[in-house]
Amino acid sequence: MKGFATKAIHCGAMKKDVHGALRVPIYDNAAFEFESARAIQLAFEGRSLGHSYTRISNPTVEDLEERIRLLTDARGVVAVSSGMAAIANVILVLAETGGNIISTRCLFGNTYSLFEHTLKPWGLGINYIDLTEADNLKRAINEKTRAVFLETITNPQLQVVDIAKISKIVAGFNIPVILDGTVTTPYLFRSKDFGVAIEVISSTKYISGGGTTVGGLIIDNGIQDWSACPRLKDTAKKYGPYALIAHLRREAYRNLGSCMAPHNAYFQTLGLETLGLRIDKSCENALALARFLESRREVKSVNYPGLKNSPYHELAKNQFGNKFGGILTFTLADRKACYKLIDGLTIIRRATNINDNKTLILHPASTIFCEYSEEEKNELGVPSNMIRLAVGIEDSEDIIDDLKKGLESL
Amino acid sequence: MFIMVNGEKQTVEGSETTISELLVLNKVSMPDMVSVQINGQFVDKKDFVTKKIAEKDEVDFLYFMGGGKAL
Repeated sequence: MKGFATKAIHCGAMKKDVHGALRVPIYDNAAFEFESARAIQLAFEGRSLGHSYTRISNPTVEDLEERIRLLTDARGVVAVSSGMAAIANVILVLAETGGNIISTRCLFGNTYSLFEHTLKPWGLGINYIDLTEADNLKRAINEKTRAVFLETITNPQLQVVDIAKISKIVAGFNIPVILDGTVTTPYLFRSKDFGVAIEVISSTKYISGGGTTVGGLIIDNGIQDWSACPRLKDTAKKYGPYALIAHLRREAYRNLGSCMAPHNAYFQTLGLETLGLRIDKSCENALALARFLESRREVKSVNYPGLKNSPYHELAKNQFGNKFGGILTFTLADRKACYKLIDGLTIIRRATNINDNKTLILHPASTIFCEYSEEEKNELGVPSNMIRLAVGIEDSEDIIDDLKKGLESL
Repeated sequence: MFIMVNGEKQTVEGSETTISELLVLNKVSMPDMVSVQINGQFVDKKDFVTKKIAEKDEVDFLYFMGGGKAL
């Protein structure tokens, strides 16, 4: 099997179903029974394979994890309750009080909030630098740096950085790159080939099949020596290259209760099978919408890496196989105009998700970034006259027509 | 020879048994997903085919994940 779709549909490592079901059923139970006291002891000690409790592992969730692992050629995958849970788990495993991570201010709003409001008070340093200049890392990394965190296409700034160059620099310091690949997924971007140690994904987005369920993924690409990570060196003595996955599974993920619900895993596995089809269509639609918006006098600017005037166009083209994702932003005269446009639409939905089957519209400054001051919003690249469109897979002419009517009413 | 596998005494014929062979003898599920320790020391996967078990060795097969048995 070579093709992405074939693997997504046919890969998996599950037992044959007792009824011959072609799809792994939803094992929506909490506990699993063992044949003897000795058998349950071995499972708890990690000396045998076996599901014991769904907070730790579950057959339906494992089916999703194994498919993602085989699709990405990863060392291991852990499915979690959300994309934010994926980021939080990874940072908590790699870093400690007094340590630091390096990132950029061009981040998803909740990720920035996790760093600033949740992790900083526990004593983790966050050093924000401009990652469009990869060489900045050479000055920023110090002996307390535990990871570098970035996104493939930042949301909502739509900034693209040279990931291979960043990974090469970071590898020289023997620390991992953590990449949020939510808006590209392994279909558009094979992070392992670009030197990324860990990819985190909000599978709520593209992978869930259309905003069906919330979930997240942690992918260990298997290229990092975990014995060099202070938090993982003891685990590495026992589990070697599997230290990250083992530490998550047997400690952080288990203790934080970050498990993905089996019901959600079922939907996300189903969504994975049609991922390529849906991403292709949403990227095609996003480009069509970006070009339409560029042509309108009511629109002050359009930001989409697929447009040739984007400063990130060539880089994105090379990194993501000539596809540019399903998110674009544009600016109008002011916030009032943004609200009027949003309220006048009839097909495009007013909602905060991205990569749904439906095209969704949002005013980021008053929603995802509402907890920040105007000054911070500007620093984060979220001005008050900006609208985000998360483009779906409808017929593009209908979405364009909806926007056209809205713009004409301004 | 006598060895301990996952805390239980086991008899292995001869003195040339490798970790790979021991995994097969013990019908270990998903050997790609198992981590092996001998006397508390992690053994690199690439050494499974060459590393031989010695008398009285304490061998542990450790899974880093929960999970069901594959086909």
